[in-house]
Amino acid sequence: MSAKNLFLNSGFVRAPLQNGVGRYVCQLQRIVLKFCKSHGGSRGMRDFIEQDLVDFAKHHPGVVVYLKPRRHRSPVIVGEYLNGDRVWMNVHNKTHEEITKWIEVLRTQQGDIASVRLRKYQYTDHPSIQGPWTPFTFKDPELNTAELPSSKFGANNRLPMSATEQLRLMFEKQKISTKTEDLKIAE
Amino acid sequence: MALIRRFMPLFSKVMRVYPITVQSQKIHRWVAPTLMELKRREDKLGGKKTYPRNTYLEWNLEAELFAFGQRLNEDFDPDLLLQAFTDRSYVIKEEIQQKKMGIDIKMNDNRELAKKGEEFMSHYIKTYLESVLPKFPPEGIKGVLKHLTSEAVLANISLHLGTKDIILASQYPVEESILANTFKAIVGVLLETSAEERTGRFVRDFVITQLQGQDINEFWQIDDPWSLLNTFVEKDGGKLEPRLIGEVGKNTLLACYQVGLYIDRKMISSGYGETVATAKEMAARAALKKIFGTEDHMKPIDFKLEGLPKTASQTRYQISAS
Repeated sequence: MSAKNLFLNSGFVRAPLQNGVGRYVCQLQRIVLKFCKSHGGSRGMRDFIEQDLVDFAKHHPGVVVYLKPRRHRSPVIVGEYLNGDRVWMNVHNKTHEEITKWIEVLRTQQGDIASVRLRKYQYTDHPSIQGPWTPFTFKDPELNTAELPSSKFGANNRLPMSATEQLRLMFEKQKISTKTEDLKIAE
Repeated sequence: MALIRRFMPLFSKVMRVYPITVQSQKIHRWVAPTLMELKRREDKLGGKKTYPRNTYLEWNLEAELFAFGQRLNEDFDPDLLLQAFTDRSYVIKEEIQQKKMGIDIKMNDNRELAKKGEEFMSHYIKTYLESVLPKFPPEGIKGVLKHLTSEAVLANISLHLGTKDIILASQYPVEESILANTFKAIVGVLLETSAEERTGRFVRDFVITQLQGQDINEFWQIDDPWSLLNTFVEKDGGKLEPRLIGEVGKNTLLACYQVGLYIDRKMISSGYGETVATAKEMAARAALKKIFGTEDHMKPIDFKLEGLPKTASQTRYQISAS
């Protein structure tokens, strides 16, 4: 996803309150199921409430479940999280299975993660383990015992190769090649 | 005119073939002025009103209190827990209202519980840090403790445990001090209802883990690291010797010096800086970190210590430079 979405907040992958370092806390604190008792659009929601809701509440006692029947309106799930996020989800015409899965999604996420654009898929407070670079960081250990001034460490090796040097190298190369040719002929 | 009439069909044909359309979402011209007018009227009535969560129709305080305990995997006494969530400001507001109506119902606020919780918390965290960071001096431990029990940190913890909506206060959204106070009171409740060991585990899991990924040395500001290091070294009978072991770019803006600290011709640490004085100070800081066992590459703090750590102030590891 790109950064052109003006109203989409960006963020990093973070666990709220170091969750899991000490003990795990389910981040979904309450869930409100709004539905109609007679409308067909709420059929799946009513099935879920009849068959699975009690088990859900039993298995997750840390989540407060509220039911809010309202006449002839679309079924809606609202999840509220410990970090203050609120997720509103329309489940009109959704089947029982779909609603079960969506509620599982709401329960296992840590906040309104769909409304955050991740800048990266990893995060660290300390990007460098070595610390800041200094001129001494990658110093050649040979320098410790060298006697200065030395021609090896004092040589200016930053200048480009001069034309004379290039000619000299070409001459040397030529000499080597002629030597090998002579050898071949001798064989 | 005749010319125009003659070419009109051609013109309309061209229009049909190359429609000049604007590729953007159609928003009616009346939308923006209407929203602005609505905003103006709202501001006239005193701005946007936000209602606290506990005034909603779908709110059940009893269920919320039960879920609060279950979420944190603790058994709270429900009455005491409600008391922990009752702030002093709420009690005052209620008393005034009751006086008006001519009734008198006693209400308890969380001040005593908070005091109890705070005492336990500071004692537990101190002993825990002492056993986890055995070489760190007491002043440093005090600095870390001050950070952990500061209002901002406790309020953040309290907020992320979901106290924000349950707290009974006179004003919403609740202030940081009320959030922090409530967390202390919750620790107090736990202390009353369950054993000290369990309360300690609660504090460990939610407060001490906040040190995860933090630099311990930042919580204790050492003003003069050189003289502090000297006292440690002299106690041991050694003599500190700073040596300039590297210099680059002298008399330039990018000068960098490296100073090594030696005891008995053995290097204990090195530091660098833009002047010799800062390099020496950094070297002293690095040496102190080494002595305290809080180097950058130190082992992560152990967050899994079971039981109550012993108060071992007397038997603490004697700090030495060797």
